Amino acid sequence: MTAQVGLGTRGSEGDSQPESESCVSRSGKVLLEVENVVTGFGSNTVLHGPSLSVREGETVGVFGLNGAGKSVLMKVIAGVLPLWSGRLAFDGADITRVPAEERVARGMGHVPQGRQVFPGLTVEENLRLGAYTLRRHDKGRYPAALAAVYERFPVLAQKRNQLGGSLSGGQQASLAVARALINQPRLLLVDEASAGLAPVAVRELFHTLRQVVATGVTILMVEQNVSFGLQLVEKVNILQMGRIAYSGDVNTLDQEALVAHLGIGRMLGKGVAGTLAGRNVPPGAPESGKGGKAPKRAAPGSRGGANKRKGAAQG
Amino acid sequence: MGQTLILGLMTGGIYGLFALGIALVYRGSRTFNFAQGEIGTMGLFIAFGLVERVGLPWLVGALVAILAAALVGFVFERLVVRVMIDASRVAVAVGSVGLLMLLLAVEFKIVTVSARSLRAPIGGVGKEILGVVVSPTHMLSIGVAALVAVGLALMLKKTDFGLGVLAAAQDPVAVRLVGVPLARVSGFVWAMGAALSALAALLVEPTVGVFAPGYASELFLKGLAAAVVGGLTSLPGAFVGGLVVGVTEAGVSRVFASAAFPGIKSLTVLGLILCVLLFRPGGLLSGLVAKGESAS
Amino acid sequence: MKRLPAPRMLLLALAFGAIPPLVGRAGLLTDYSAILVGGAVCYAVAGLSLNLLMGYAGQISLGHFALLGVGAFASGIFSGADRMGLPFVVSIAGAAAVGAAIAFVIGLPALRLRGLYLAVVTIALSYAAEQSLFRASFISGGSSGMQLPRPILGSFVFTRNADFLAVLLLLLLLVWQFDVNITRSKLGRAFHAVRTDEAVAASFGVDVTRYKLLAFVVSGAFAGIAGAMYGHLYQFVNSESFGYHKSLLLVIVVVLGGLRSRAGVVAAAGFFSLLPVGLIKVFGTGFRGTDLIVGALLLMYTVARYPGGMAEAMRQGKERQAVKAAKRAAVAQGEAGDEQPVVPKLPQMPRPSGLPARPAEMAGMPLLSATDICVSFGGLKALDRASLDVHRGRIVGLIGPNGAGKTTMFNAISGLLRPDSGSVHLLGEDVSGLPAHVRARAGVGRTFQLIGLAKDLSVTENLLLAQHVVAGYGVVSALTRIGKAAKVERELRDRAAEALEALGFERFAGTPVKNLSHGQQRIVELGCAMVTAPELLMLDEPSAGMAPGAAENLAVRLRDIRDELGRTVLLIEHNIPLVLDVCDELYVLSSGEMLAHGAPDEVVRREDVIGAYLGEAVAI
Repeated sequence: MTAQVGLGTRGSEGDSQPESESCVSRSGKVLLEVENVVTGFGSNTVLHGPSLSVREGETVGVFGLNGAGKSVLMKVIAGVLPLWSGRLAFDGADITRVPAEERVARGMGHVPQGRQVFPGLTVEENLRLGAYTLRRHDKGRYPAALAAVYERFPVLAQKRNQLGGSLSGGQQASLAVARALINQPRLLLVDEASAGLAPVAVRELFHTLRQVVATGVTILMVEQNVSFGLQLVEKVNILQMGRIAYSGDVNTLDQEALVAHLGIGRMLGKGVAGTLAGRNVPPGAPESGKGGKAPKRAAPGSRGGANKRKGAAQG
Repeated sequence: MGQTLILGLMTGGIYGLFALGIALVYRGSRTFNFAQGEIGTMGLFIAFGLVERVGLPWLVGALVAILAAALVGFVFERLVVRVMIDASRVAVAVGSVGLLMLLLAVEFKIVTVSARSLRAPIGGVGKEILGVVVSPTHMLSIGVAALVAVGLALMLKKTDFGLGVLAAAQDPVAVRLVGVPLARVSGFVWAMGAALSALAALLVEPTVGVFAPGYASELFLKGLAAAVVGGLTSLPGAFVGGLVVGVTEAGVSRVFASAAFPGIKSLTVLGLILCVLLFRPGGLLSGLVAKGESAS
Repeated sequence: MKRLPAPRMLLLALAFGAIPPLVGRAGLLTDYSAILVGGAVCYAVAGLSLNLLMGYAGQISLGHFALLGVGAFASGIFSGADRMGLPFVVSIAGAAAVGAAIAFVIGLPALRLRGLYLAVVTIALSYAAEQSLFRASFISGGSSGMQLPRPILGSFVFTRNADFLAVLLLLLLLVWQFDVNITRSKLGRAFHAVRTDEAVAASFGVDVTRYKLLAFVVSGAFAGIAGAMYGHLYQFVNSESFGYHKSLLLVIVVVLGGLRSRAGVVAAAGFFSLLPVGLIKVFGTGFRGTDLIVGALLLMYTVARYPGGMAEAMRQGKERQAVKAAKRAAVAQGEAGDEQPVVPKLPQMPRPSGLPARPAEMAGMPLLSATDICVSFGGLKALDRASLDVHRGRIVGLIGPNGAGKTTMFNAISGLLRPDSGSVHLLGEDVSGLPAHVRARAGVGRTFQLIGLAKDLSVTENLLLAQHVVAGYGVVSALTRIGKAAKVERELRDRAAEALEALGFERFAGTPVKNLSHGQQRIVELGCAMVTAPELLMLDEPSAGMAPGAAENLAVRLRDIRDELGRTVLLIEHNIPLVLDVCDELYVLSSGEMLAHGAPDEVVRREDVIGAYLGEAVAI
């Protein structure tokens, strides 16, 4: 019964290369570049110059408390919020002034905050709209793309003629993801997809996203629910009050750092981490380097790094 | 009774066309184009000029009028609405008031105040239905109105762009995030609204007889009432709203025919608008709205 | 805010009264020109009337000429020889009264309708008025219309247009002065607040409903006067005189002249009245009607570029530099480091007169007690039996992850939201059924996440607005400046100056709030919350947007409020270090439920609390 962070693993195959269903390769090329973005609303500066980059094939997460600026960052990358200074580049090309629709055409896909499926359109119509760019380029590819989506999301296939607004929260989340994927994007931007979902739906979404990750699509995800997000990403950025407080591999992040960088326990510093560390470590916690199944809900698994530190603290 | 119904439905169909244009613009830009009616009058003047003065056939005149109207709507969207993407919706409406004044001013200047009349597209004696003489033009009006409404609905549902228009009204941000060019949707919607207005004005004019500057704006108000009754964002609702307004108006006229109080029709329109906005802001039919369309 | 001091007004009145008749008699002003200028003056009053409604109070009216018509016909009925035959002055006053009454009736639906919908209703109203009400014989005389007499002073009749022009100018001056008095009083500030943000207005104790209706009433009175002026000037009105197209042109005038700018509106009114004649004189009759074209094009351009109107555009020109500079500073900060203004010592204001005495120390009873608050939006439970107590002299923190319902809780406590069930007790009294502005009066000061100030007003005006609850004078006193208004306003200004000095913001006294940096706005907001010495301060994320250094300083100030001033603070925060530093106790809200309550150090270490922040771990 610990409150340990679910610093779980990514992909149930551990560290082996995930099988690619799409043609996206892990080339290591930088797909998205965000440089020193400063922006806000009116007189309120929300982002104070954070930078990050996403390489092809990676799954990158951005975490932070409310008000840290995660959503604003996503909106700037998407192109629906202008930036005051800074630079954005996608696949080598500068997209700082490119409008949102154009960015989608270039290969960005979005799962927006709150899902935002079109409530008055059916599931199939939602998907058809999602494939807007695809259909403009090559209408012939659409039937296959649609079929593939229905195969991966059988629930959507069942409800294809139902209105988007009549679906449950979890189903809407699936629809939002499917709608973004059907266009075969190069970069998928997921904005707090788990927010407002019931626990059951969150689990559903998790599995969905895990599958997506496994296909090798590049993902940048913003999450409020740190436990949820940490189990999916391989690179972590922590945003605090509009600045990047931490950026690195998920392996190198231990609980103390996490809690500290999020800003939950800054004043107490080591105190909180020590308290956490002093709790029971679930039996059979895996060593670092391997993945391994995360144990049951009550006692989420932890990563090797944290174990090592706990050992030291206890010792 | 039946007479009133028929009469009401005939005028109602036209109001429905106006209402379609209004609801469309509201869905697209969440505001009203107060000049929309006057664009229709402008179309009438153009058609008049081509048909009565130059001698072209009615159809040609009508087509040119509709295209001209669409152009005006499109240009206005480009130059004013698009620039005001972040401004309040009321400010955009005020801007459209400017367009209204411009059209009126130009009309007064070029054509002076005297009334005109445009000959009907189809001649001939009408049939009698339930004691009311329904002229061929009447029937044409209803037929075209219904056809256009259905055609529009199909276009919106079946084409990708049309779907984008529907989606943009439901969620303008999300629609950009699927790659639909919001700007083009906006342009389309304003052009279409203006075109529908011109079409409606052309269809209704022969039944009323004469027109002058400001003519269609009065009809526009009834179209506005119809759209409000129909729930403002529901397209089928707008059309049905038009029928409701038409029938109510005819009924009230009949009942108070001999009353000394003038302008009973306009009071009815006002009453309808007030009642709906205050008590059933989702539209009179908000409980019964057709599937596939969410009210506001 | 321009105003003419009393001696100058008197001088102007004398000039207006004396010059036109003299010039007319000297032959320099023809009867025709006099009637033109007179028309422009009437139009100016109409413009001022609409400016008050649309510009100050933000209530759109696309059918204002209907109110003018009402005034004209009313005056005709009151003064007509074959009607009631009352003297001119009585008729004008009567026209004002009728205009006010009708406007009140129009204002009622306006309470429920916003922006666009209100626009639709007003245009439909004016159309209906033109088509039906104004065609009724007994009201307007139908198309044959009614005659309106010129005023009589003793045995002198104002038949000459130049003579009557003097009367019109004096009436314009009167309405102008009323308008000035309104903007200088709590009325103007309240209108402004209502226009900017009703929640903020309510938090300052403004009864939003009352002031919306008041705006309609006063605007209607002015409109009635303008209509009567027209009627008596042309001596004839009929059913066609007040068409709904005229209302639209008036909107153009007000928008172009600049919403909220008196001088701009009067200038625009004059311009548009005289433009048609001017154009014809200069360019010949071919230019008839061109004035409308010009006006329409100008309107579209202005609205597109400057939705706030031309005067606003000119003001903006100067301000734009300031805003750009602020943005550049923000950008530089983003790269350089933290340089936020430090929160100064907050003003220690004595309790203002006019408020009930501080309630005696209630042994054991909490200052604020919210019990079992339930709020649902649609099917979603935002708050589920959430309770909290705040005892006097404590700083209590309310924390929780995003979407937990903290602001909803605040809204339920301060009265902006009516919960589905549960109760709120403030200072011993059950306030569960009371609206927000009443609770504000009872001694609650509140700040907002997105800065609860009237952004277009200056810092001083905001400080005055914040004292709305103690502005103890009535509408008539405000309008006429007779009675308590002047004295009370002086007191308010003194308090505002004190607060300014305490904050160290004297140099920003006249600066519009929106031109200040975020941190500075936050300071002004805190100052405003403090200026009426409230018992309970409810702060919604006061450190949002502040750099860590400034936030630490804020902590010091909050402790001052508790220790030196003996007040009580309830705050929502995401800045956990600040909360740990400053709060005496913490409540943790998560998914609408109170998860924990207790001493900050303990609460923050609890597993369930940390778990709430980190989110549910997902089983696989």
